[in-house]
Amino acid sequence: MTNGSMTNKSSFKVERVNWSTTTILVLCAVTVLLPLYVTVSMAFKTQGQAVDGNAFSFPAPFSLDGFVQAWTLTNFPVGAAMSLLVTAGTVLATIVLAAFASYAIVRNWERRLFRYSFFYLLGAMFIPFPVVALPQIQLTGRLGLDNPLGVILLATMFQLSFSVLLFTAFLRSIPMELEESARIDGATTWQTFWKLIFPLLAPMSATVGIFAFLYAWNDFMMPSLIISDPALQTLPVRQNLFQTQFSNNYHVSFASYLMAMAPAIVAYLFTQRWVMAGVTQGAVKG
Amino acid sequence: MSVKMTRGKRFAAMGLGLALLAGLLSGCTGESGKETIRFTFSKREAIGFMTKLVADYNASQDETEVVLDTSGVDVVSASFVRGNPPDIALANYNMETARFVQRGALSDLSGTDAASRIREDLQPLMDQYGSYPDRTSALPYSVMASSVIYNKEVFAQHNITVPTTWSGLVAACEKLKAAGVTPFYATWKDDWTIAQGWFDYSVGGQVDTLDFFKKLDGEGVDVGPDSSVSFQKDFDQPVEKMLTLTKNFVNKDAASRAYGDGNLAFSQGKAAMYLQGPWAFSEIAKTAPDLQLGTFPLPMTDDPKDLRVRVNVDLAAWIPEASKHKEAARDFLEYLYRPEVIDAYNASQLGFTPTKDAAGVPDPRIQGMVEYYEKGQVYQGPSVLVPRTIPIMNYTQALVFGANPASTLSTLDADWARLAFRQ
Repeated sequence: MTNGSMTNKSSFKVERVNWSTTTILVLCAVTVLLPLYVTVSMAFKTQGQAVDGNAFSFPAPFSLDGFVQAWTLTNFPVGAAMSLLVTAGTVLATIVLAAFASYAIVRNWERRLFRYSFFYLLGAMFIPFPVVALPQIQLTGRLGLDNPLGVILLATMFQLSFSVLLFTAFLRSIPMELEESARIDGATTWQTFWKLIFPLLAPMSATVGIFAFLYAWNDFMMPSLIISDPALQTLPVRQNLFQTQFSNNYHVSFASYLMAMAPAIVAYLFTQRWVMAGVTQGAVKG
Repeated sequence: MSVKMTRGKRFAAMGLGLALLAGLLSGCTGESGKETIRFTFSKREAIGFMTKLVADYNASQDETEVVLDTSGVDVVSASFVRGNPPDIALANYNMETARFVQRGALSDLSGTDAASRIREDLQPLMDQYGSYPDRTSALPYSVMASSVIYNKEVFAQHNITVPTTWSGLVAACEKLKAAGVTPFYATWKDDWTIAQGWFDYSVGGQVDTLDFFKKLDGEGVDVGPDSSVSFQKDFDQPVEKMLTLTKNFVNKDAASRAYGDGNLAFSQGKAAMYLQGPWAFSEIAKTAPDLQLGTFPLPMTDDPKDLRVRVNVDLAAWIPEASKHKEAARDFLEYLYRPEVIDAYNASQLGFTPTKDAAGVPDPRIQGMVEYYEKGQVYQGPSVLVPRTIPIMNYTQALVFGANPASTLSTLDADWARLAFRQ
């Protein structure tokens, strides 16, 4: 609608389109939107159309067959409930435990025990799960934790180091004076934490929670190895069924991925404000 | 109103909690006094068939409740580590399963009725992966035979009969090429298709693979240019012939085509022949359900008597030693091996039944392999007999992409010797 010569004369200089930036941003958007479009359209295709080699074609006829098959093959309601249980457990446990640990560590930094326990917790960052998978499988099996509860425990453990790092960085920026005033009013340590510190940590808790959510919701390897009863298995593991060497069932797979992706996308839509705020906060004050 | 809502929420939360608890508990106790056994089966294409089979079995008697577990092979390995493996499994028989066999983790099935009905000439296929003294650790359930898939319409159009000799094959390819038809559709982006098809068919058509690998095992660390058998000596000829085919008679874009593309292209009649196993038939049928297809063994010599088809034990049945329900699992095993059950399964998957009393194979698409299978003119693909630590699939891919055959095969020898030294 507007071109260079017109905007030059008018006073609305702000409206001039920066074409180079726009082009780059459009390209960036396309790299996200195009795969998403393929995912959605593929999910609604029939089996024949799904393998015909035209990924970008529009589904014709429109078919819900993929969703129906994916729903029954993965026993979706149970799988989603298990994923939800594991994820909720991991998110809650991570936030609470990491906040506890970080508070204790930051406020006792001058003591060697706390300082070293910080490094000890961070050390877990260097240990990926596959390295300790075998002993963990045996241990959880012996302790009767070869179920979603065991996955919650282990996932929280692995999530703890990064979360403690985020929380401690944030906690250092909270002035001691705030706490002292609470002490003067007669608050105990417990009360100071819950009434003052934990609410102040909210933006960082959101970030920690989101990272824990994404990890627990998407994790494949840990639940697949730790949970022994297939009826209690999480969604990503159930979906493994679709990845076979000899057959392609794109419409079923994509329908299933779409259903599994939905909660993560919904969660992100509602919390992206905090995600962005939290990540930049952590980045600046590290 | 608000009170109602909170009460509603509370009930919902309680319901959810109870449901989860019930779910957790049902893992420990069987319902209605039946003995529950866990049956692992993760062949994606046949889950529908197996689900129905299990339901039939559960309805047919009231002592055992079979639970179908489709969660896959990693989960099974983890359950062995944990000490609660599945009670019975039908799984692909390969190097992975062989580890359980060699370490005695699987129970002896020699006393079962099913074991007595297995064709004896198939035993070498099972033993190839190792065995445990005085035990029949696993029984073959479904044997997949694979060879060249060809488009009958294209063959008829150009007046080509199924070649039975190497020179006949080359002549047929020349004829197709002259007529502007791509003789073979190759999908080299997926390295397993080269190993499974091109490499295995070429080598297996000329070399007695089981004998070769037995001798190779004997040579161990000495495998090399001076040993009695070696890859560079015995595989040299077949690989050269394979390269003759791959250099002259495949589609131009083979390097960038994957298995899925190949199925689509072949279903559209873009080539006359396709080196794939019977699993590709159902994929091809997705886009061309009425295509007339057949199979024939890839001729590698000029003597039709040398024709052989590649086989592998697609499914084998086994019952872990650590299972607490071995008797119930054995009953279910016998059910699985009932002639009508095992035949129906193999017919549905285009597989061959490994029992002596097997019914004929009705599907015309695999009819071309029946006579070879029944006469025992079969071989096991060399690519599956090489341990996974040697990247044989990548080597075969390098070969078709133009690597020097002599040096690639001597690398393979060196790898073999190094692995033998480590063990």
